[in-house]
Amino acid sequence: MKIKPLHALLTLALLVLPFLFKDNRFLGFILGITYLNIFWATGMNILYGFVGLMPLMFAAISGIAAYALLYFIAEWHINFWFALPVATLFASFIGVLLGLPSLRLKGFYFTLCSLIIQSTLTLAFIFFPKFTNGDTGINQISPPLWFGEPIKGYAFECMLALMAVVGIGVSYFVYQSNLGQRFVAIREDDVLAESLGINVVINRVVAFFIVSLYAALGGCFYATYIGFISPRSFDVLSSLNIWLFVAFGGKATIAGPVIGSILLAPLPFLLQSLEAYKDILSGVLIVLITLLMPGGIYGTYLAWRNANK
Amino acid sequence: MDSFLLLLASTVSTGLLLGAVFALVAAGVTIVYGCIWLPNASNGQFFLLSALVAWGLTSSYGLNSFTACLLVLIASVGLSLLFEKLLFRRLYNVPDRNISYFVITLGLTQIMSGIFSMTFAKWSDQFSLPPLVSGVTMIGPFPMTNNRILVLGIAYLSIALLFILLRYHPLGRALRAVFQNREAALLRGVDVHSIYKISFVLGSSIIYLGGLLYALAYSFDLTIAWTMSITAFAIMIVGGPGSVLGALVIGLVFGFTQAIVSNFTSPTVATFSYLIAMLLILLVKPNGLFLK
Repeated sequence: MKIKPLHALLTLALLVLPFLFKDNRFLGFILGITYLNIFWATGMNILYGFVGLMPLMFAAISGIAAYALLYFIAEWHINFWFALPVATLFASFIGVLLGLPSLRLKGFYFTLCSLIIQSTLTLAFIFFPKFTNGDTGINQISPPLWFGEPIKGYAFECMLALMAVVGIGVSYFVYQSNLGQRFVAIREDDVLAESLGINVVINRVVAFFIVSLYAALGGCFYATYIGFISPRSFDVLSSLNIWLFVAFGGKATIAGPVIGSILLAPLPFLLQSLEAYKDILSGVLIVLITLLMPGGIYGTYLAWRNANK
Repeated sequence: MDSFLLLLASTVSTGLLLGAVFALVAAGVTIVYGCIWLPNASNGQFFLLSALVAWGLTSSYGLNSFTACLLVLIASVGLSLLFEKLLFRRLYNVPDRNISYFVITLGLTQIMSGIFSMTFAKWSDQFSLPPLVSGVTMIGPFPMTNNRILVLGIAYLSIALLFILLRYHPLGRALRAVFQNREAALLRGVDVHSIYKISFVLGSSIIYLGGLLYALAYSFDLTIAWTMSITAFAIMIVGGPGSVLGALVIGLVFGFTQAIVSNFTSPTVATFSYLIAMLLILLVKPNGLFLK
């Protein structure tokens, strides 16, 4: 496993950026959101890019984690840092449990199944107001404490930057490892992979668990960073949005989801006058990417570079 | 006792009507899926589009419902041809195209719902069409509006026509041949791509027709689009993807379920039960109940 100087430099840039936007709260906030989406997109890419399954229930798992986190903090009166791993693991296990039966399916049927689970959970978020406060949502979520001091502003963005970089690192590590090779083998031909002695179901469960961890951890930090969550934050459009970041940047590459998130995640905030067109714009992008550039920006660039070697 | 009978009668009439609309829309979705492998996730938006345009024609231009619906149906053929040419034709030869199509239609859903909430949602939040005919007929002791009886008649006539078309007309036979085995159909001289086109136009037109019938019988708002999408998919999966008979039977069953459930509690419970039914079928018998 070797790390190129360029990659090290870009990683360093990701970590340093929050300090540059220390005083500009507007740009700082956009940066924080972008880090969250980089983390999420990198996670989804492990299942979508490497294993070849499109999990539309991604946002629902984030939602379970976020609601569980707030519930644990409020009910058990425990610290954010104790509630975080509990909520993350809880949501990931729920995610795997829900996903377990659907892992026998592949392609369109898996995606449809995950869409159904996502829709059911969105309905459940609305219809169990005891945990979620229904459609109104939960606001004024207090930020996590660090030795008695609340983490706010650029300190939170530094934390998110660190999380994004660790997320990218883990994804890179998985990709390089035997596990990643098995994932790719399953994506390319699951029958062949099975006959080579790769346990397809177990490997899919492992991938699903890793992805759920990403979704859940991101959800916990999302809730505490934004300070407000509602069932709308975790609906099918959110899942589809994260999918778009992966597909737009380039699936099955490490850089793709990062590029997609950096280019697309800040757009709704930078073009506030176009807020009403946000859904239409992302719909158009989804259609265009699927039709014209299935490899995404980075995938197309790689193909072009290989052709011109 | 009398109020119970009245409730029963209203449940039956609602069930028949909703069932027919569900059956039509699901048949449209399943024809397109069986033929082209195109799972149309935006079917609910298509459904809503036709209803909204008909509403716009009647309320802004003062057309009567019949003319408005006819115009919408004619325009829908052109729109379907446009969609087919611009979007769906490009992937006809891709082997794993159903997932790409699914994503594309999810994108379309987002585009159309965005457009609706920027336009129609600003003009009104509850929509309804003027009735086709006025008056009330007593069926035994139960009153029923003539409009609803007519809509019911049109709905079941359309289902019957669709069935006859698929079973006996050469075109319908070619469609079913492509359902069953596209290579063999190709070898027997069926022009598969033009069958794809026809099936897309036919399936979409049925969905648009379903929207019009629903709008003629009930008032509606923008939220029915997503519910309809989920319901149509649930019917298609439970009935068996590509099975028109399955879509018709399960559509009726789901329509009655919804009519019965809404007597006691919110219709969301019915949607919930469709989702669970679809999940169970996907996990236990992915080919559905009616597909061999």
